[in-house]
Amino acid sequence: MRLTALYTGWFSDVTYSTLPMPAQQPKDDIATLSQQSDAEVFLALRSGQVEALGILYDRHAPLVYGAALHYLKKTQDAEDLTQDIFLALAKGSSYDPTRGTLRTFLTVLTRSRAIDRLRSRSKLRQHVIQNSVMEVATPNLPVEHIVQVERSHEVQTALSQLPESEQQVLKLAYYEGFSQSEIASQLDLSLGTVKSRARRGLIKLRQTLADFIGKS
Amino acid sequence: MSLSMPSQQIQELIAGYVLGDLSPDEAVAVENLLAEHPDLIQEVAAVQQTLDLSYAPLEVAPPASLRARVLSASQPSSETQTRRAVAKPLQSSAPRRLLWGRAAGVAAATVIVALGIANYRLWQTLQSLQADRPEQPSLETPLTYTLEGTEIAQNAIAEIVVDPVTLNARLEVEDLPPLQSGQVYVLWTVVGKEAPFTTDDKGAILTQVFRVNDQGDFSGTLKVPSAYHTADRVTQLAVTIEDASIPQAHQGAMALTTVS
Repeated sequence: MRLTALYTGWFSDVTYSTLPMPAQQPKDDIATLSQQSDAEVFLALRSGQVEALGILYDRHAPLVYGAALHYLKKTQDAEDLTQDIFLALAKGSSYDPTRGTLRTFLTVLTRSRAIDRLRSRSKLRQHVIQNSVMEVATPNLPVEHIVQVERSHEVQTALSQLPESEQQVLKLAYYEGFSQSEIASQLDLSLGTVKSRARRGLIKLRQTLADFIGKS
Repeated sequence: MSLSMPSQQIQELIAGYVLGDLSPDEAVAVENLLAEHPDLIQEVAAVQQTLDLSYAPLEVAPPASLRARVLSASQPSSETQTRRAVAKPLQSSAPRRLLWGRAAGVAAATVIVALGIANYRLWQTLQSLQADRPEQPSLETPLTYTLEGTEIAQNAIAEIVVDPVTLNARLEVEDLPPLQSGQVYVLWTVVGKEAPFTTDDKGAILTQVFRVNDQGDFSGTLKVPSAYHTADRVTQLAVTIEDASIPQAHQGAMALTTVS
C-alpha cells in the first residue's frame, strides 16, 4: 500500500500526482473536465462521458479504499468493495449534488456497505472479531468502543476542544453513519438540536484547523 | 465579490451541505448561494477537508491495477446496453446552477496526504498492537487463540478454544483454500526448542492433521499437547500445508498463524 499525494497545493495551486493514467490521446475535453467540480464531473458521468469515472476515481479512490480497508482489513475485500462503490456511482447511484458533497456521500456509502459485508460474514468470523481487540464499528456497539481513527496531533487537539455534546453528534452522524433522526431518538434530543450541534461543531473545527488546512 | 469570512448563516449552510443534512429549502438556498458566489466552493472544500481529517479513516492509495479493473467493468459490454449511456438530467429548478465550479476552475476535492507517511506507519503499528492475544489463563478459563490467514490464504480464519486442565480443545477453521490430493493441513503448537517438551527442529509440536470441506471449512474436537497446561509456554500456533504421507516433516508453507 502506498500513500500518494493527490494535491500538493491547496486551492491556489492544484497539481496532480503520478497516479497511473490510461494510455489515451489527451483531448481538450478530458483536460477541461478534470478541472471541474465533483458535481460537474458527476453530471458528465450520468450523461455517459466515459472519462468522467476515471476522474472521480483518481480523486476519491484513496478515500473509499482507505475506509474499506479500515473496516474490512483484508486488501482483497477492500479492493472488491472499492470497485463496487465506483460501479454504483457509474450506474447512477442515489447521489444528488444539490443535497451534499460527493466525498461525504462516498464515505457514507462505503461505510454502510462495509458494515453489511461484515454482518454477512459467518458467526465464527463475527465471534472472532468481537473477541479480538479489533472492534468493528456497528450501530450496536456503544460509541466508546469504536476503533479510533488515527489523527494528527493538530486534529486531535482541535477535536478535544469541542464541547462533548458536539463531538458526540458529529461522531454519530459522520463516523457512525446514523441518520440525524436516529441520533435524535438515541440521545433524546430534537432533530433541530442534533442538526445545529453537528453544524456548530464542524464550523468550530473548520476555524480551529484553518491554519493547519491552509498549510498543506 | 469574495467573502473572506462567511457569515454565520452561510457557514451553517455550507456545514449542512458537507454533512448532508440540508432541508429542501436549504438545498435551494445553497444552490443560489454558490451560483452567486462561486468562490465559496473553496470554503466547501475546506469544510469537507475538516470533516474528513477529523472523522474519516486514513486515505490509502489502492493498488494500481484496480483502476483499470474498475473502468473496464463500468463500460457497457455491448451495443445493446444503452440504458447507462442515456442522458438523465438532474431534477433541478435552475439548470446548471450547480456548475459553479467552472468559473472558479477548481475541483472540489481535498488534500489528505499532507499528513503523510508518519501517519501510515502509526496506523500499521496500531494494527499490530490491536491483534488478538491469548488470554492469561486461570485454571477455569478456557484459552482462546485466533489465527489469521497469511498471503496464501488471505481470507482464512481459525479459532481454537482449549481447556487447559483436560487438554480438550475445539478447532474451527474457515475459508482455507482447497488442497491438492496428497496434501493436508497441519496445526502446530510452537513452544520453542528450549521448552521442556518434545518438539521438532522448529520448536513445534504437531497438534492436528486435517482437511477442509468444499467450502474450505473444518471444525472438530481434538486433544492438545500438555504444553497448554501452562499457557505462556505456547508462543504461537500455526497451520501449514504438508505432504499427507509425511505431515510431520513441517516443510510446507504457512497458511494461518496467531498474531502477537
